[in-house]
Amino acid sequence: MGFKHRVLYKLSSLMFVFVLVLAGCSSDEKVEGDKDGKTTITFWHSTTSETAKGTANVIKAFEKQNPDIKVKSVYIANQGEGSNEKLLTSIAGGNPPDAAYFDRFEVASWAAKGSLEDLSELAAADGIKKENYYPYTWDEASYEGKLYGIPTTTDARLVFYNKDHFKEVGLDPENPPKTIKELEDAAAKLTIKDGKRFKRIGFIPWYAQGWFYGWGWTYGGDFYDKETKTVTANDPKNVEALEWITDFAKKYDVEDISGVTDSQGSGAMDPFLTGQISMKVSGNFNVASIDMYKPDLNYGVFPIPTPTGTDHTTWSGGWSVVIPKGAKKKEAAWKFLKFFGEEEGQKLFSESSRDFSAIESVNIDLGYADDPIFKEFIDILPNSKSRPVMTEGSLYWNELQTAVENSTRGKGTPKENLDKVNKTVTDALAK
Amino acid sequence: MAQVTTRKKTPIPPTIRKPFRKSSLNGWLFASPWIIGLLLFYAYPLLSSMYYSLTTYSILDAGEFVGFKNYGELFHDDLFWKSISNTIYFAVFFVPLSILFGVSLAMMLNMKVKGLAIYRTIFFLPTLVPQVALAVLWMWLLNPGFGLVNGMLDSIGIQGPNWLGSMSWSKPSLILMSLWTIGQPVIIYLAGLGDISEEYYEAAEVDGASWFQKTRHITLPLLTPVIFYNLVMGLIGAFQQFTLPYTMTQGQGTPANSLTFYVMHMYDNAFKYFKMGYGSAMAWILFVIIMILTAIIFSTSKRWVHYQGE
Repeated sequence: MGFKHRVLYKLSSLMFVFVLVLAGCSSDEKVEGDKDGKTTITFWHSTTSETAKGTANVIKAFEKQNPDIKVKSVYIANQGEGSNEKLLTSIAGGNPPDAAYFDRFEVASWAAKGSLEDLSELAAADGIKKENYYPYTWDEASYEGKLYGIPTTTDARLVFYNKDHFKEVGLDPENPPKTIKELEDAAAKLTIKDGKRFKRIGFIPWYAQGWFYGWGWTYGGDFYDKETKTVTANDPKNVEALEWITDFAKKYDVEDISGVTDSQGSGAMDPFLTGQISMKVSGNFNVASIDMYKPDLNYGVFPIPTPTGTDHTTWSGGWSVVIPKGAKKKEAAWKFLKFFGEEEGQKLFSESSRDFSAIESVNIDLGYADDPIFKEFIDILPNSKSRPVMTEGSLYWNELQTAVENSTRGKGTPKENLDKVNKTVTDALAK
Repeated sequence: MAQVTTRKKTPIPPTIRKPFRKSSLNGWLFASPWIIGLLLFYAYPLLSSMYYSLTTYSILDAGEFVGFKNYGELFHDDLFWKSISNTIYFAVFFVPLSILFGVSLAMMLNMKVKGLAIYRTIFFLPTLVPQVALAVLWMWLLNPGFGLVNGMLDSIGIQGPNWLGSMSWSKPSLILMSLWTIGQPVIIYLAGLGDISEEYYEAAEVDGASWFQKTRHITLPLLTPVIFYNLVMGLIGAFQQFTLPYTMTQGQGTPANSLTFYVMHMYDNAFKYFKMGYGSAMAWILFVIIMILTAIIFSTSKRWVHYQGE
């Protein structure tokens, strides 16, 4: 090889290496499909099976109405509360999708970091307003008076109970417990324990959807003062609620109970379906799997009992659609959000997913109020609460869960543990 | 051998050696993908995480420079201490046990029996199972209600514990699961065993040494370089325990934080609570801890690691 050749050879191999490295780092930034006048927007969602059908239906109808826009729907496993890493890094990297299906629970903390587009003006211009939605869904999608997401779905939590078990032990299946005391008695009657093993357990307060938020509110406590922006985890009523849960854990032996909760299967193996648990707190989203795996199950739902037997409440979460900060095709994305969030889109979505819409009239139109099970949920939705809208929502949630864990396991008293939650979250908010 | 004799190049005197001779350019060129990769994907993130650990960086915004505040705060974080103690508990039990089991398994798999290749494959297979699948599998096996393990204990009249649901059993259970995947070190031990010259055993045989004496005075001492390697690697791995407990407890470290390991706490802070600065500080503390422990092991190694031919 001559000198010239050698230099050329070296240069070209160096180039090759650089190309390799660059190819490895490059982001997918080519402008998609803008030929033939179509705009393609990317939509990230985490919906599966029935819910995915809902998403697909919405997209199909939207594309029909907007022939110039194409929606590229991308499934992202685990996009939701506490597992939004992929969306997080895409926004940080300046290459986010144009729209995303987003857990409302995290809107506040993301908005506070400036990671979501402010939709207030767009919504106002297109006549999308709070009055159309369940108020808490709108509040949850807003932060400091500005709207960052359009609420799409909501849910609620009630106690599911097995009517056959009730009959078997002489409880009236048409008159389920209203007070905490009645709930305790029913649970005791329904439980069959053999040594350390439960053949059947009546009730486990923290099982399934029995999160502490529900119990605190049921006892009349509260978690956050919106006006003064103070955390009130150690509200005396919340302490009372946790004390009750702790007593329950002691009575039935928490380690034996965890034998049941750890055995929890899903789908057809759900212990409620297999008759291993008689009552559990769960959400409307559970109905679909009961219909699928055990349609002949004789069950009912009732509001979470309260100490007094009145003022029943529950809490709701749900989803929204958002535009991540840095999205490239905001205009088209907004059109999609608007379609998804208004009645037509919500109806299409709710119809196949069986998730409640964030718009009450849609739920009525779809006949949810006529279904004996769903009716109970629709009835309680207007009284429902959402978790505190704050920047440290995830931390608060996890801390409360730890407090329940520690109390039921006898590590610290309920009061001490809730005091600690209060301090941790308050400190985090102060930063 | 032929090539050696035909090489006629005169050796270059040491004085002419420059760092960038023509032929070394070729070397650099060939190494450049790795060098660029190392700089870009290791050195850069490493150094920037050191800087971020001094800020309130949240991934989504750059944050402010706060000096050593993150480090200071860590010392008042209860869960930080809990996660350290959990991690040390795991490392202290897991690493020695993995050496004990690894070496014994390797010695068994080194015996000259029929179907050896099959046995070796069987013990290596679990290593190929992805950690997440492994977690799910063991959750089933150790299930107190319908799990196979308790079922088997039941049949011989022992009531098994609630493996993963009890605070006192959760960590031992995790150690048990982790021991299931020691195929990788076993392969290395096997190579180490194969490296021990037969002559030693023959000599010992002539002297009438028993199996135990041969193991104690030949096999183990000559295996120490490999044990040393696996000890260091095992320790580093143990301190970074993440996937198994994270998957098993859905990131919660249940029951009552008894399975919250150091890296899990770090991950939660960095990606869930938007405290990347705090997380980076934790990462550097972990780095220092591992460095110190590795240094200690290295400094003692002269006393117990024996190389063949020395």
